[in-house]
Formats: sequence, C-alpha cells, structure tokens
Amino acid sequence: MSTSTTVDQRSIGELLLDADYQARKLLLDVDGADAAAMLRTWGEVVQAAGDLWSSLPSTPYVSPLDGATMQRLETMSQAQHRAQLARDWPGDGPPDERLLGMAENLQRAAELAAGPGRRVTPRSPAAYDDLDAARMRVMHTLYVGAHAVGVAVHQHVNEVRATVSRHASDRETRDIPRGQDAATRLAAFEQLAGGFVGNRFSHVMAGEHYTPPTGTGRLHQALVSWDIQAHRTLAVTPSAPNLHLAAGTQAMIATASTAILDAAATAGRVNGEDYQHRLAPALAANQQSWAKAANRWGTLSSRGERADPALVHAANEVRAAVHEIAFDHTRWATPDVMAGRIDLAEAAATVQQAMIAGAELACVHRDIAEREPDLTGSARTIAAWSREAGIDDEIALISPGDVYANRAVKLPDLIRQALVADAEQLIDVSEATMAVAGALADVSRRESAPAPGRPQCRSEERDPVRIPAPGRPPTASR
Amino acid sequence: MTTPPLLPHDTQETIAAIARLLHHAADRTACQAATEGSRSELHVLGLGMHVAAAEAALLVPADLDPYWPQPTQADPLELLRIAERLARAVPVNDETAGFSQVVVSLTDLLREAGS
Repeated sequence: MSTSTTVDQRSIGELLLDADYQARKLLLDVDGADAAAMLRTWGEVVQAAGDLWSSLPSTPYVSPLDGATMQRLETMSQAQHRAQLARDWPGDGPPDERLLGMAENLQRAAELAAGPGRRVTPRSPAAYDDLDAARMRVMHTLYVGAHAVGVAVHQHVNEVRATVSRHASDRETRDIPRGQDAATRLAAFEQLAGGFVGNRFSHVMAGEHYTPPTGTGRLHQALVSWDIQAHRTLAVTPSAPNLHLAAGTQAMIATASTAILDAAATAGRVNGEDYQHRLAPALAANQQSWAKAANRWGTLSSRGERADPALVHAANEVRAAVHEIAFDHTRWATPDVMAGRIDLAEAAATVQQAMIAGAELACVHRDIAEREPDLTGSARTIAAWSREAGIDDEIALISPGDVYANRAVKLPDLIRQALVADAEQLIDVSEATMAVAGALADVSRRESAPAPGRPQCRSEERDPVRIPAPGRPPTASR
Repeated sequence: MTTPPLLPHDTQETIAAIARLLHHAADRTACQAATEGSRSELHVLGLGMHVAAAEAALLVPADLDPYWPQPTQADPLELLRIAERLARAVPVNDETAGFSQVVVSLTDLLREAGS
C-alpha cells in the first residue's frame, strides 16, 4: 500500500516562512503586465491572512491598536474588491499563480491553527513570543505583497500612458484612472501594514521558535537522493558537465565526511586511532582523486553542454545539508557544536554509506570513460591535451574551426585512455576508503552489524583490485 | 542620464558572462582548496560556486559558451563581485525567468566568501 499523501505536511511556521519568501520573490519578478492578474488575486491573500490571524490564540497586546490592524486591512481589501467590481476592472481572467500560492499557504496555516487540539492557551513567554513572530510574519507578507502589487499597478499605468496618443479616447485611457485608484488604495494598505511592522521586525522575529537541526535525517536523505540522481543522470546523459558536477560533489562529500568523522572521533563516537591513521588518510586520498576527476571533466565541458537541472538541485541539497549540520557560519563547527546538533555515531554511519555509494559511482565514471561511444569534450581542451602528448591536431582529427568555436568533438582514443586510467585510480582509492570504513561500522554500531556490501562494477569488465593494507595510503594497483 | 536598456542578445551574453565568471571562480577556489588540503572549507564554497555556475549556464542558449573564454581575473572573490555587478544589469522579464535563483546564490556566495 502506498504511504504517499497529497496533504501538505508543512508546519504553520514553514508555511508562513514560505509565504513571506514568496512575497519577497514576487517583488523581484513583477511588471506591469501582471497588474490585472495580481489585483484579481490580492483579495484572496488578504482574506486568507485574516482567517489565519483570527485562528491564532490571542495574546495580551502591547498596544490595542495592533489587534485591530488586521480587521482594518481586511475592510480595505473588501472595499477595493467592491470598487473593482463597480469599475469592471480588472474583470474576469486568470489569477496570479504566485499570489494564489501565497494565499494557499496562509489558508493551510489557518486550517492547521484552527484544527482539532489547536485551541490551546499559550502560557509561557516563549509561546507568546512565537505567536507574536507568527503575526509579524503574516503582516510582513502582506506589507511586501501589497508593495509588489502596487509596483505592478504603477508600471501598468505608466505603460498605458506611454502607449496612448494625445488624442486617445476615454476608452483607451480609462486604465489610467482605474490603475491610479487601485494604486492609491494599495499605498494606504501598505502604509497601514508597514506601520504594524515598523522597525520591530527583526526584534519580534527573534522570538520565533526555531527547531535546530536534529538528527541526520536531512543529510541522509540528501546523500541518498544525490546517489540516485547521479546514477539516473549519468545513465541518461553522460556528458562532461554532468560528470564534472558529479565528481565535484563527491569531492565535497569526502571533505564533509572528514569533518564529521573528525568531530565524531573527538567526541569518542569513533575510535580516534582508527580515524587518525586509517580513515583520515583514505578520505584525503579519496577527496583528491574526485577533485582531480572534477577538474578533468570541467575543462572538457563544451559550449552546447549543460548540467542536468535535477543533478544541480541534488548537489545543492547535499551542500545545504552539510552546511546545516557541519558549519558554524562560514567555518567548520566545533565538535561540541556538531554534537549538539546530531548524533555523531549516526552521522558516521551515514558517512559510511556515502563512502560505499562513492565507490560504486567511481565504477560508473570508469564505465562511461571507457565505453560511452558518444562522449564528447571541448575541442580546445582536447587539442591542448593532444599537443601535450606530442600529437598534433590533424592526427587527433580536430579541425581549426572546432578549436576556434570550441565545439564539442568526439574524444580521441588517447584522451579516453587517460580518462580511463584516472577513473581506475579513482576506483582503487574509493574502494580503499570503503574498506577502512569497515572499522567505522564496528565502532558506531555497537551491535554486530554485517560488513558493508561491496559495490560491484559491471561484472564482465571488472578486474581484481588490490586493496591497500590498513594504515597504508591507497595506491593504484595497475 | 539613464542606463540604456539591454537588448535580449545582450542579456543572454551577460548571463553567459556571469556563468563563465562563476565557472572559473569555482575552478580557482578548487585550486586554493587543494593547496589548503582536503579538509579546507573552500571545497564546500567551491561546490556552491560550481552549482551557481551550472544554474546560470542553464539560462544560456546553446550557441553561447558559458565556460570559455577564461576571465583575466584570478581572485575568486573578485570574480564573484564582478558577477554580482553584472547581475544588476539583467532585467526582470520572461526571458530571464529563473535568474532570481542565480542572484540569490550570488549574494549567499559573496557573504560566504567575504567573511
């Protein structure tokens, strides 16, 4: 039975944050052509915000005026709606999907706030602060949203002014007074909402309840998603930009693994000796090999090739997950800070799985370098590498036109062999890292866990690989 | 005096230039990170630039090159700053839908790289 659900699973805080973010984003991408659709939809945003406001538990306000602000805003929005109906502008038509998304977020938050078991009376100062922050978030969303709609309406009026001639008829110029009226109403709305926000936004938002990242759920999910996406993308589009991003992300995963394991070793969740003498050197070699592969594929990227958007998204999520648990501003977090966020033994197990997946991905790299018939690369890079190897462009079958335009050309055998040799070394190093990760499993999982499964390359072409002895740096075996 | 509006082709070339700057900023950061060692935070920053370069490259038409020529500047922070300055000239319209993400990434990277 499927366990998937179509119900929005986000919390009230997440919905409000998203609505506020959407409002800010709206401000970046708004123009006069959006005015009619935005005016049609704005009322729904205000109504949903009002519903949410009235669903939140009451708090003793500092100023009684604050409690009435939302009612006044709702009244203003209803008046504007009536005026729009009377003027028959903007009339029927498609809604603005972005504002509709904001309204849906606010409406869903209202449903959650009014749902069963939610009618509780907050008693602690922290709960009051969180409620104040929720109201501030709603008001800030309306403040920024009203400004965005106002900008669109102003631009629409200016565009109409610029296009109509001096002797235009009333029918042609009627959008000007209608737009000006809407802009005036929106300006009043914005000022009222802005008065509530004032200069208190950052102060009030400081009281917002924030659940710090706990557990390795996001990191684990990000690494699993990355592994799946990397395999999917490389199976369908084994191009240089995709291989570049895949290798670069693997190098970053190795770096992050080192930082997390270092913290785990300091906290005693991983054997310090094992980490220092076996894991750290293996991960360093692993990181360097992936970085070298990334550099190779990066220089082979040619003008018409782009990375897969899904792969870009997955890489971004891995980086964000690492940032969330392992960084303190722009530096690695101290082991104490990291231990406060996650169970380091659990994180070590997650890292171990990433090492296993990395070894398998190295096999995929080798398979692509060796067997992918349509693999292409930048003509300039291939020409430069061929010249370094003592082969001129004619023998390498690269035309001057290709080099000039830096077109994608088929990889010559010589380059392909060099890439395969690099990938072979990458496999050796990745397997060595995976082998020493066995020690990690013994420490982080107290119960007897089975040895990690060895990834398998495609059976027909995989030669036996010599695994370096523990404690020795991994070396190429062929 | 106002800045003359960019033509569509100028806009595409501007975004391609931003992609090139980010691509090479990522390369330069990776080189610096390799010098500092496998535990350097710069590896994480470099991947951020790489992802932002890929995001920008996705907005560039196939006939424009988002990787070459290499910019003359070598300092990643300077390359980021130039990219951010160029991004200010990119108009908000249907043709540049999705560019907001690049702007946000650029701002985040500048804060991360500059601190």
